[in-house]
Amino acid sequence: MRIVVCAKEVFDPDAVNSYALEGRLAIGDDGKTFTQTSIPRLMNAYDEQAIEAVLRLRDAGQDVALTVVSVGSQNTDHLKHALSLGANEVVEIEIGDVALDYHCVARVLAAYIESSGGADLVLCGRQASDDDQGVVPALIGEHLGMPIITIARDVVPAEGKVKVIRVTPDGDEVVETALPAVVTISNELGEPRYPTMQAKMKARKQKPTVVTLGDLSLDGAALAPKVELIAQFVPEVRGACEMIDGDAAAAAAALIGKLKQDAVI
Amino acid sequence: MSTSVVVCIWGAGEGGLGAEAQEALTLSRDLAAALGADIKIASLGAVSDQAACDAAAYGANAIDAVSIDATGCEADVYVAALEAYFKANPAGTIVFPQTFDSRLVSARLAARLDAGAVMNCVGFSVDGTVIDATVSAFGGDTRAVYRCASGGTYIFSINPNAVVPEPSNAGAAAPAINAVSADVGGANERIAVLERPEGAAGPRLEHAQVVVAGGRGLGEKENFQLVEDLAAALDGMAGASRPIVDDGWATPAQQVGLTGKITKPSLYIAAGISGASQHMVGCAAAKTLVAINQDPDAAIFRYAKYGIVGNCLEVLPELTAAAKKG
Ligand SMILES: Cc1cc2nc3c(=O)[nH]c(=O)nc-3n(C[C@H](O)[C@H](O)[C@H](O)COP(=O)(O)OP(=O)(O)OC[C@H]3O[C@@H](n4cnc5c(N)ncnc54)[C@H](O)[C@@H]3O)c2cc1C
Ligand SMILES: Nc1ncnc2c1ncn2[C@@H]1O[C@H](COP(=O)(O)O)[C@@H](O)[C@H]1O
Repeated sequence: MRIVVCAKEVFDPDAVNSYALEGRLAIGDDGKTFTQTSIPRLMNAYDEQAIEAVLRLRDAGQDVALTVVSVGSQNTDHLKHALSLGANEVVEIEIGDVALDYHCVARVLAAYIESSGGADLVLCGRQASDDDQGVVPALIGEHLGMPIITIARDVVPAEGKVKVIRVTPDGDEVVETALPAVVTISNELGEPRYPTMQAKMKARKQKPTVVTLGDLSLDGAALAPKVELIAQFVPEVRGACEMIDGDAAAAAAALIGKLKQDAVI
Repeated sequence: MSTSVVVCIWGAGEGGLGAEAQEALTLSRDLAAALGADIKIASLGAVSDQAACDAAAYGANAIDAVSIDATGCEADVYVAALEAYFKANPAGTIVFPQTFDSRLVSARLAARLDAGAVMNCVGFSVDGTVIDATVSAFGGDTRAVYRCASGGTYIFSINPNAVVPEPSNAGAAAPAINAVSADVGGANERIAVLERPEGAAGPRLEHAQVVVAGGRGLGEKENFQLVEDLAAALDGMAGASRPIVDDGWATPAQQVGLTGKITKPSLYIAAGISGASQHMVGCAAAKTLVAINQDPDAAIFRYAKYGIVGNCLEVLPELTAAAKKG
């Protein structure tokens, strides 16, 4: 079974969060690009969990060929990480200076999957931690005519079908569809594993397969962005916290008093 | 006026419009005004009289009720019905109140209509026919502004709590509800539901008036009971940050935040929660936010109205006792 995991390189969200909270997230003259060079780039955490989902299938004895594909990365450390975890092939789709939006990225990923022999299962993260859009997997599914199941905590393909446990606001939902399908993975899947030292060393020497936009037969319309990021800023946080002093009992009594006074409770 | 901003909803067959739809209509109104367009509702399934009145109060000029043959949100049928509807009734600006189900339906519809899809919208600005959509990004740490090309079709999904819903036209007469049929071309649901979630019937964190939430500062699983106790004493519900859900101290249905529940209670008490943006997305709209944290520099205090610097394991039981004293 061929499984393709789409993995995006993102800025470390924890680092972005700390800088933003400290009021030190630097945005360049173009009004949209982070200029801090100290923010690490890594694989979107949900995409790493998508790889983990595949490794669990392998642990359970399934014969899977895992391809991990990324579009437009700055460096390929995240793909080497995928190799060290046991990906059979990692692919970087280089976009050069072409400005692509996430709609184009979905076209590129769909075209890659199609032209590389298709996939029995396409796994994506539920959303990328930079843009939070969660749109790319749905678009890939539509472009490839595959059913799409979002927000999974468990994915088990068997006998031409895939059974998925989805995490819905009301609790777990168990669904099933015929393969091929697109499934998006959520954090409830659980912690991804670490590669062994040996696997890391070996992966360091390997190179991703490089695919260029020209290798994929995409027309101009597919590569025309629908949206353009024109600005990015840190929103203001409202403030003015009234601190309530005293030991636990005194502070608790005072707080409850205030909440009553405010008619909140 | 011939152009419309079309707001897509479903589940409007009973009762009034939900908060998400009211918020989406509030934002759509400004968008429509700036575009010189009117507002139309496209509902999958029936629209109750109350929902129609609510829609009018929020400035909707027309309501189409598209008949569908589906129980629950069967995404394939929903997408096919909306595709057929918009192919028969083209619209340049389509708006969805953002819910768990609509995120998937709206993004898929975008592919069918070759439209741009923009999720997590919190505001718009318009210059002529060019729409700039401001969206939440990086888990709430930033706002990104996406410029939408003039002349294209766009689907905007409105972030819950993006605005305070505000009727513009209270008491306006409800527009007639046009029954519309959409040819779904025999679309079959490809996804079979084997087991439905259990919590569908119970009270929902999203609607709770009081939420007491715990985080990693609780130290261990057993201490989540302190959160449950205070929630019970205040007639509220218990919530949690993601790490303690991941660790099994609380259930996924209790997770508050970007990838959990978006709450809007009158009172939110956060105990042992640091205030990461991804958590705050789910509670920053609380009318009164209380933070209990032993670190006086914790980010959560920036969002809070009242703060207690202290050990939540000591403060929570005292709060419960004080609340019970009445
Ligand atoms: C893409 C993405 C999506 C995410 N989605 C969500 C989401 O939906 N919801 C969510 O919550 N998080 C989410 N997160 C995680 C988020 O970034 C934070 O890691 C998380 O919210 C932190 O949880 P916490 O506050 O419980 O733990 P911590 O950040 O570890 O904070 C614990 C706090 O407890 C305090 N403390 C410790 N002991 C005590 C004590 N005895 N008494 C009082 N205070 C004490 C500490 O000072 C600290 O401030 C997401 C992250 C990413 C990257
Ligand atoms: N540039 C990219 N390269 C590879 N996969 C991507 C890329 N962008 C998005 N994806 C996939 O689509 C998911 C959702 O991304 P998004 O729609 O941008 O939130 C991610 O978790 C990835 O699995």
